[in-house]
Amino acid sequence: MNYSNLFKYWRTVLVVAEMSIRMQMNDAFVLFAIVFQPMIIAILALFMLQGKGADYAMFVVVGSGLTGLWSSLLFVSGNSINVERWTGTLESLVGMPTPFDVIVFGKNLANVFQSLLSMVVSYFLAALLFGYSLTLTQPLLFFVTLLLSMFAFICFGLTIAPVFVMYRSVQQWQNAMEFPVYILCGFLFPIALLPNWSTPISYLLPPYWAAIALHGTSTAVMPFEQIAFAWGMMLIFSLVDLVIASQLFKIMLYKARVDATLDVD
Amino acid sequence: MRTIRKNFRLFWQGTLLSYRALFAWLRPVTYMASKIFMPLAQMFFFVFLGTYASGKDTSDFYVIGNAIQITSISGIFGVTMSVGGDRDAGTLPYLFGTPANRFMIFFGRAFMHVIDGAIGVVIALTWGVLLMGLDLSHTDLPALGLTILITTFSTCGLGLLMGCLSLLTANVMFVNNFVYFSLLIFSGANVQISTLPVWMQIVSSILPLTRGIAASRALAAGASLTDISVLLISEIGIGLTYGFLGYFLFSWFEIQAKRKGTLETV
Repeated sequence: MNYSNLFKYWRTVLVVAEMSIRMQMNDAFVLFAIVFQPMIIAILALFMLQGKGADYAMFVVVGSGLTGLWSSLLFVSGNSINVERWTGTLESLVGMPTPFDVIVFGKNLANVFQSLLSMVVSYFLAALLFGYSLTLTQPLLFFVTLLLSMFAFICFGLTIAPVFVMYRSVQQWQNAMEFPVYILCGFLFPIALLPNWSTPISYLLPPYWAAIALHGTSTAVMPFEQIAFAWGMMLIFSLVDLVIASQLFKIMLYKARVDATLDVD
Repeated sequence: MRTIRKNFRLFWQGTLLSYRALFAWLRPVTYMASKIFMPLAQMFFFVFLGTYASGKDTSDFYVIGNAIQITSISGIFGVTMSVGGDRDAGTLPYLFGTPANRFMIFFGRAFMHVIDGAIGVVIALTWGVLLMGLDLSHTDLPALGLTILITTFSTCGLGLLMGCLSLLTANVMFVNNFVYFSLLIFSGANVQISTLPVWMQIVSSILPLTRGIAASRALAAGASLTDISVLLISEIGIGLTYGFLGYFLFSWFEIQAKRKGTLETV
């Protein structure tokens, strides 16, 4: 991905994001993934973690919000290129002068942004239905973390989408990828509960660092050094994802223009 | 006698063909990812969450609850898609044009999913024993097998009703997902039903799975088949009620669709 394109085509990114939000807000599947599924998980977790005290309500709000973010990233961002293939618009998008990765970046931006709704819904659910008084322990750091997490999720989504288009054998596992990430990234319980061999896998997943920092700034009073470390990891992974995504987009566009096999199922 | 044989053949062919139509075009990997790995990952997630909430010694509660709940993947999604698939594939008008016995056609759509769902639960329980330390040493295993079969049957009953609703709405996957995830709360798979608010307990009591999960937990704790017989009989009753409600809705839908010419309008 040519990063300067993001600045050069920032208007395009925003227009694509707006279009995507308008379209997806009419899609019942998207609404389920970003509103209803996280809400049901939040209700379950609030009942299950009741014994741990009121402090855990904010933990559940953030954790269930993250489940919405991941599910939406996996199914909506993951299919952001496929959806164009299904509707027959992929060739036009690939053939136009605007860089294709800019368009996919805009779609991912919209998707990640609208997925924050899952956190908002969970917040109101815990506050209104369960009567919890919810406050962020480090609000400023939380919002900085949220911005960095959004960026990390967008970049991660940029690597998933071309993989799902080019390697259908990977996409076949899409349904099975949802809950393992909830588990490995410690969205609703610490990864210390998991077997030791799984810890390095967690460290390699950007959503894990997002969960660490978001939980640390919303529920606990995490020392700034640890927060900064999680931020650093998110930035490193974002840059790595962008480099990987740029290579994947090159291969994909090559397939589209030279092999002409992009639209072949 | 000839009519009975013909109806049985209709039931069996409908059963096999609708199941094959749903899955035969999938690669084995896709089938395994959706039918085996996804449910197991979901089970592990809730078992970890549950043991984090109430301690490692409660893991059996969550393993059994979530393993049995896996049956609703076949019961809700499988059956609904088998019934609704006729509309999506454009075969519904032909189906309604035949003189074939509707009862056999309708209930035939669920049969394979009962078997499929029960196998899914057995796989989940096996993983529970191997990886989560589920203790079934005091369990009457044939009784547990019967409980799994009955619970799967009753969940498929709800699936048949949902399948008919899928003939009336375009957002069938939204409704299916909503019911499937709601069952995680209301069936008692993850939360003791007695800790839920009263209105939720009432909803829970009229849903399939609730009694099946309770019976399975009782069996794992050493209860006998006689001890859980009331639970099983009510589970069968609930399954039949939903199944027949679905059948009546299916019949009503056919009459309305033929009268108004609205077979393909949704």
